[in-house]
Amino acid sequence: MTGAQRRLILPASIATFIAVLVLLAPFLPLADVRAMDVPGRFSPPSAEHWLGQDEFGRDVMSRLIWGGRASLFIAIGSALAAAVIGTTLGLLGGFFRGLVEIITVRASEVILCLPPLLLALLVVTILGAGTWPLILALTLLYTPNYARVVYAATLQVRSLDYVTAQTAMGTHPMQILVRTVLPNILPPLLVQMSLVVASAMVIESGLSFLGLGVVPPTPSWGLMIRAARGAMEQQWLLLLWPSLALAGTILTFNLLCDRLQIALDPRGITGSGALWLRRGHDGPPKSAAPAPKIAKSDALLQVEDMSISLAKGSKDIELVRNVSFTVMPGETRAIVGESGSGKTLSALALTGLLPDVLSVSGGRALLRTRADETVDLTRLDEAALRALRGGELSMVFQDASAALNPVLRLGEQLGEVIKAHNDMDDGAVAERVVALLRQVGMPDPEQRVRAYPHELSGGQRQRAMIAVAVANDPRLLIADEPTTALDPTIQAQILKLFQTLKEATADMGLIFVTHDLAVVAEIADQVTVMYAGQVVEEGPVAEVFARPRHPYTAALIASVPEGGAERLVAIPGTVPVPAEMPKGCRFAPRCAHAIDACRRDIPDIERPAPGRRTRCIRWKEVT
Amino acid sequence: MQTEPEQTLIEGRGLARNFPQRRGLLGQARDVWALRDVNLTIARGETVGVVGESGCGKSTLGRIMLGLDEPTTGTVDFDGRDLFALSGPERRKLARRMQMVFQDPFGSLDPRRSVGAQIADGLRTHDIVPANEIPTEVARLAQQVGLSHDAINRRPHEFSGGQRQRIAIARALATRPDFIVADEPVSALDVSIQAQVVNLLMDLRRDLNLAMLFISHDLHVVRHLCNRIVVMYLGRIVEEGPADKVFGSPAHPYTRALLESTPSMKPTGRDLGDRVLPGELPSPMNPPSGCAFRTRCPLAEPACAQAVPPLDPQGPGWRAACIKAGPVKPAIPEPA
Amino acid sequence: MLRYIAYRSVVAIFLVWVVVTAVFLLLHLIPGDPAELLLSQGSIAADPAAVAALREQMGLNAPIWQQYLDHLGGVLTGDLGVSFRDGAPVVGQIAQRLPRTLEVIITASIIATGIGIPLGSYAAIHAGSRTDSVISFLASAALSTPVFVVGSVVILIFAQKLKILPAGGYVPFSEDPFGHIQLLLLPAGTVALALLAVITRMSRASVLEVLARDYIRTARAKGLPRRRILKRHVVRNALIPVLTILGLEMGTLIGGTVLVEFVFNWPGLSGYLVNAVDSRDYPEVVGIVMTISILFVFLNLLVDVINAALDPRISLVRG
Repeated sequence: MTGAQRRLILPASIATFIAVLVLLAPFLPLADVRAMDVPGRFSPPSAEHWLGQDEFGRDVMSRLIWGGRASLFIAIGSALAAAVIGTTLGLLGGFFRGLVEIITVRASEVILCLPPLLLALLVVTILGAGTWPLILALTLLYTPNYARVVYAATLQVRSLDYVTAQTAMGTHPMQILVRTVLPNILPPLLVQMSLVVASAMVIESGLSFLGLGVVPPTPSWGLMIRAARGAMEQQWLLLLWPSLALAGTILTFNLLCDRLQIALDPRGITGSGALWLRRGHDGPPKSAAPAPKIAKSDALLQVEDMSISLAKGSKDIELVRNVSFTVMPGETRAIVGESGSGKTLSALALTGLLPDVLSVSGGRALLRTRADETVDLTRLDEAALRALRGGELSMVFQDASAALNPVLRLGEQLGEVIKAHNDMDDGAVAERVVALLRQVGMPDPEQRVRAYPHELSGGQRQRAMIAVAVANDPRLLIADEPTTALDPTIQAQILKLFQTLKEATADMGLIFVTHDLAVVAEIADQVTVMYAGQVVEEGPVAEVFARPRHPYTAALIASVPEGGAERLVAIPGTVPVPAEMPKGCRFAPRCAHAIDACRRDIPDIERPAPGRRTRCIRWKEVT
Repeated sequence: MQTEPEQTLIEGRGLARNFPQRRGLLGQARDVWALRDVNLTIARGETVGVVGESGCGKSTLGRIMLGLDEPTTGTVDFDGRDLFALSGPERRKLARRMQMVFQDPFGSLDPRRSVGAQIADGLRTHDIVPANEIPTEVARLAQQVGLSHDAINRRPHEFSGGQRQRIAIARALATRPDFIVADEPVSALDVSIQAQVVNLLMDLRRDLNLAMLFISHDLHVVRHLCNRIVVMYLGRIVEEGPADKVFGSPAHPYTRALLESTPSMKPTGRDLGDRVLPGELPSPMNPPSGCAFRTRCPLAEPACAQAVPPLDPQGPGWRAACIKAGPVKPAIPEPA
Repeated sequence: MLRYIAYRSVVAIFLVWVVVTAVFLLLHLIPGDPAELLLSQGSIAADPAAVAALREQMGLNAPIWQQYLDHLGGVLTGDLGVSFRDGAPVVGQIAQRLPRTLEVIITASIIATGIGIPLGSYAAIHAGSRTDSVISFLASAALSTPVFVVGSVVILIFAQKLKILPAGGYVPFSEDPFGHIQLLLLPAGTVALALLAVITRMSRASVLEVLARDYIRTARAKGLPRRRILKRHVVRNALIPVLTILGLEMGTLIGGTVLVEFVFNWPGLSGYLVNAVDSRDYPEVVGIVMTISILFVFLNLLVDVINAALDPRISLVRG
């Protein structure tokens, strides 16, 4: 049972308790709800009347339970009736679209033009007060809500491939609706249901409170509150009990709805806020000791044994383990690997932009700054990182359409990064923005300054993203899969742009994260191959591709359908998940050359040649 | 690869698909053609690759060839029967012989039903085997695509992308189809997994004599897998022909540009700048007159704006839609 | 942008027509004779003569299309008929009471947005912390307590026990500005509490979602100051869904105002409406329902326009 499911227990059991209580009302030893006792009016709670007596001396607890019975009967009854009608309308409308949609969903939405309480009042005006007119009014009221939710969910599910697959298979449309679509729209439907029960109770009690709902002498919480108001001076507890019962029941259903939503849709949890935005929170503690000097002379960046862990409960899960590499000024280092290799996390860790749940758990990343000082990027606090980011150290992200703010003009998004690191007046910033856009090959830069991201094509958005990254002439540029989402001809344009930028700024180091070996061959000088959170091989691109020294690299190259071989070399199996990493070499379970020794210990890095590294104990024999 | 005489299985004629877009409540509808004047035939056992960039109409073509989407004009004949003239029940019956494999391995399986139940759907719908033999048949299909036997009772979320794609293929094979449309079936997979699925598709094609329409933006995969290639640009076919001809010595300048801008593990030494195709895809709402590619074409001349160039023969089974078409060896290395 | 406003206005007018028609249909499609239904009390049959008279008065003897046209024409010319009870024109009463209702709604909206958005944003940034749990729970509790309960309890506390504010009533602002504001405080605060809960919850959810977006990571990668990220990137984007929800909440807000006015004896539209429903004064009820619904439609129009100003994508999609 997950945490989200556990959190359901409390509201679900309270809701069940309330339901059982009101269902069993006729069988409980309760006082007669209508039995008056004038001398005992306004009595406080006593052994005989646990919650006291009301203005006619009737037993409050008994009236409370019977009143809940009336309220819940109306609320649940109308919620169910509306659910059946609304779901049918929404399903039909969403699945068949066109005319069916108009006469089902659109027609029912007319009701949504009227404020809910007023519609209920209108129905009551016509039919008179009472239980059944209330149920009718509430059913009418909530049918369009269901229709709308189910319609939206159906539209979404309908466009999914597994529904198309059923159509392609020749399954009858009605069978698709019942067997495939309906089960998949149940989660939002269930959430809607608990929401409607709560909402219907609010309206029912409101109407009863106005004297337009449940008719006396039938007990109802709304009516009890109405009566208690007049008797506030004599006995204020009479107001308290029905208020607590009503608010408590509605709260229970609302909580049930909230937690149901989280339990049914795990994606709904969007993490734990933003540590970096909290006042007084300055990220990892700043190390008192000055960062050590970079060992390798003139290196721009030196990453040593960096590990990244996910804090989960009591134990940490290591996602990236002991990653090391260096970047020289003017050098392009590709980090290549499949999903789950840890390549993107390693890049994010360098800029301190790891998600809050992850942290660097070991090693260091030394950067030589413009002032020729050495800083350890993994130990800097948020303020120190902020000064570097966008200035000396900048990053290009994979999906430019998501990485640009949709509601701000391009000019502002570019201008703010210049202003954050330079003391420039607005005119100078505006000029610099246009110059930057021109530099990254944006057509019509003067006009594009006023454009919003959605007005640009995919290639132009990536150009804008790159302009943001190079705005302050960074010393180190990190590009995370910057061409993956692009079409081949546009991808080539962007790769060319990176080349041009590198030529223009000879000292800039570039880290290029990608899964595409061909892109590595086009753009990089050095390559670091990662697998399952570890570096497995490293060296100059041409040498590594010509003669890989790790079986994984070799297999990866052979699996690219470029060789003209009749059959591709496929690597069997899948990448291990972080919680279940093999004990020894992480590639051993999929490696054709693995021997017992491979499965025993994690292999050390070996150096087959100057500038080459491999994490394989058998490289001499098998490569 | 083709040893048997060609026998047409499916034929699309004059296919066009318009998605009119209305701007505002009372605004005029504007034509947006996703597909125009496309003719395509696929023979039994043949694998045709469709390549092109996003927005070129390749997925629309795939859906229409399968009868999932109705063309604005044109017809699709499957084994001599017009797909869009059939009644609902007849059409559903014919669906047994044509199946689809999708791109997204996470969206193509129903998350709420077991793998076995989904593979069995086609068996039940079309009474492929008697009811009591369904479990055996599902097991056989699972084994055919390389799934372990215990996979059948599990839900899709327990599987990785590559395994899900195998499940989707097993589901498609259940009805014993003659024709499969595979829309970017390996694009979402990691390189090492991609190779597994490509190999599987190659084996199945050979063993089952399947006709396949393989849609992809990855030229290397298409070249590896297909007998015949169709290259599309802005809703039209610009070149089609045998794989070795189209990729070996492309006749259309767009095909050449596509090949040259595709990154390669074996760089030619030619500067990337010389191989980059400038500009971007024109808006389908407002396509250029004449040849749609002329706005980016290095060879364009005034005549290109006059009329849409016809698909002219360049060799046996090989055609290109360019007034300056001619086979040119591109600057990419020949496969060893 | 202008095109978008024009487009939304056309839609709003269309919705008003839909409301007017829906009210008409509701009355005429419900089985049975409206006049008879209105006059009958429970199981006691209505007096046939009275029914006939009422039919004549309501124009029910005319063909249905003519009744519909009269109904539409009445709304267009601002003639909502006369009350059954005293024969006074409905429009006059509404014109007098509507501003008082609007006063409560607007004051409550200002209080609720002013507190709710910062509170929700704070909770989102501190998601998972103790403060967040407290804010979230209080918001859920406030949302779950019907306004008339809050109103009654508020009277109990502030008027009965503490005796610092009046329990209810009304004086025009022109006569006694201080007294007017004193009397406005409790009803507006009560309406605001429910809305505040909604806005806090929505802001929290919305800010949480925005914080997980890639463009926030970009803003951090740019090295922007914390305040700028919060103002230009987080809150700006988070406001858009909050406003959309606010538009949808207008209906509940109006319903809540009706109840609150009743609780505090605030002479807005509600007291009039409750009496009208109670005595089943059909022209009065229809008139008030229609006025409030039209108000509802135009409040939504306002929300849409503000939203379009915040989000450039909106006017493109549907403009």
